Amino acid sequence: MNDTFHWWTVPAIVIPAAVAAPAYAVQYFTVAQAQRALFPSAAAFVSRPVALSAARKDFIQDYSGVRVRAERQPVWRAEADGQLLGWFVLDEVYGKHEFITYAVALDPQGGVRGIEILDYRETHGGEVRDKRWQAQFEGKHYGDRLRLGDTVQNISGATLSCKHITEGVRRVLALYETALKEGAD
Amino acid sequence: MHKTAFGLLAGLLLAGTALSTRADENLFGYLSGAETLPKGAKEAYLWVTHRTDKGVGHYSAYDVTAEYEYGLTPRLTGAVALKGQSIDTHGIVIDGYVPGDEKYGLRASGFEAKLKYKFLSPLIDGFGLASTVALEHNWLDPHSGRDKDTTSLTLGLQMQKNFLDDQLISVANFAVESTYAVREPIADLPPGFDWPTNPEMEIELTGGAGLTYRVAPRWFVGAETFYQTEFETEVGQERWSWHAGPSVHYAARSWWVTLTWLRQLRGGGETYPGQTDTDLHLIEKTKQEVRFKLGYNF
Repeated sequence: MNDTFHWWTVPAIVIPAAVAAPAYAVQYFTVAQAQRALFPSAAAFVSRPVALSAARKDFIQDYSGVRVRAERQPVWRAEADGQLLGWFVLDEVYGKHEFITYAVALDPQGGVRGIEILDYRETHGGEVRDKRWQAQFEGKHYGDRLRLGDTVQNISGATLSCKHITEGVRRVLALYETALKEGAD
Repeated sequence: MHKTAFGLLAGLLLAGTALSTRADENLFGYLSGAETLPKGAKEAYLWVTHRTDKGVGHYSAYDVTAEYEYGLTPRLTGAVALKGQSIDTHGIVIDGYVPGDEKYGLRASGFEAKLKYKFLSPLIDGFGLASTVALEHNWLDPHSGRDKDTTSLTLGLQMQKNFLDDQLISVANFAVESTYAVREPIADLPPGFDWPTNPEMEIELTGGAGLTYRVAPRWFVGAETFYQTEFETEVGQERWSWHAGPSVHYAARSWWVTLTWLRQLRGGGETYPGQTDTDLHLIEKTKQEVRFKLGYNF
């Protein structure tokens, strides 16, 4: 009898077991739900996508340190009684394997009101949904120092997600400075 | 029997970990990055390496490692591993190394304990630096398949630099392994065959580098290479070899796999009589290896 071990017998047994492992819920909020959560008093959300010219991309990349891949940035103007309550910016950053979809709410002066994670497709690092962690960004403006491990506390086990969302918030703040701020071109 | 027990052990270990996941993937087959597990995190691996072709006769060996890691602190990871091997070789006799034909299925061959400490994080500090210390004991010789007790202490250094929003990952590894080895006597050696049973001391140096890129969600494709040399008390530099090959990594929601094909590019040192591939080292190495790694985090 040939008793030589065949290496493929192990993955042949294990992979089907792995495939049968529990799946993860991936969507926490739709865009409309995230808008309501971040601007509960808003009466309307007016779509105001921002075209990202080469000059704007350069500005944002120089400030945030991360690439700008999209040609248009989805942005909504949150209003109540015709007054501007703030801006709702939808964005994506890299997770380890998939994109993390998140939204940043800015007040009319460009300060961070809050963050919501809409889609989180990674197998770990979901701790970035923790409101205490997200609270570190509240009130931050363009020009404020936002660095993981420095002014933004890291979450052990979610370092990649923490880093990329921190960079993403920097990118949104630069977007405000170059495109949403009153008087911006 | 050994094969069945080992398979059951590995199956139970991995099936148990399928209940929950937290990926911390190995993007390479032979090299590693500078990250450690978070405190309290657990990880299980299964590696299978297939080594083939010594340029003469038939040589096919499988090395299997089942490893469990635990995050002791945010910077320190501890690991224990069980090792096994199988071998099928015939038509190869190399004086002092391979006394003759050998064939058996998977047998337990050793165990290892390892600590990894992260000095710098590639994500927070911009450059990752970690160090490992590993103590390993084996009772089977991976080359001949015969009984040989070896105890090794390995000190390693892992460096990592990420680029392009952490989608392009480069690593460099260095390691020094010191080994104390004693072979068991063999009764039916070929006439005049040298099979020393006195204790041996060996020092192995390894340096390597790898680069991998996320080509699509969940997929990394890269390449890795390393140089390895060994010095031994009697002969000085016993061997050296360059290896390189591609790595493919895929991560699903609850598991990840890495497949690496490694080719020996150049080698030197001792050769066996009649060796035709004189630009390779084929006594303790083979022409090629394929490594499959499967991992779970929980």
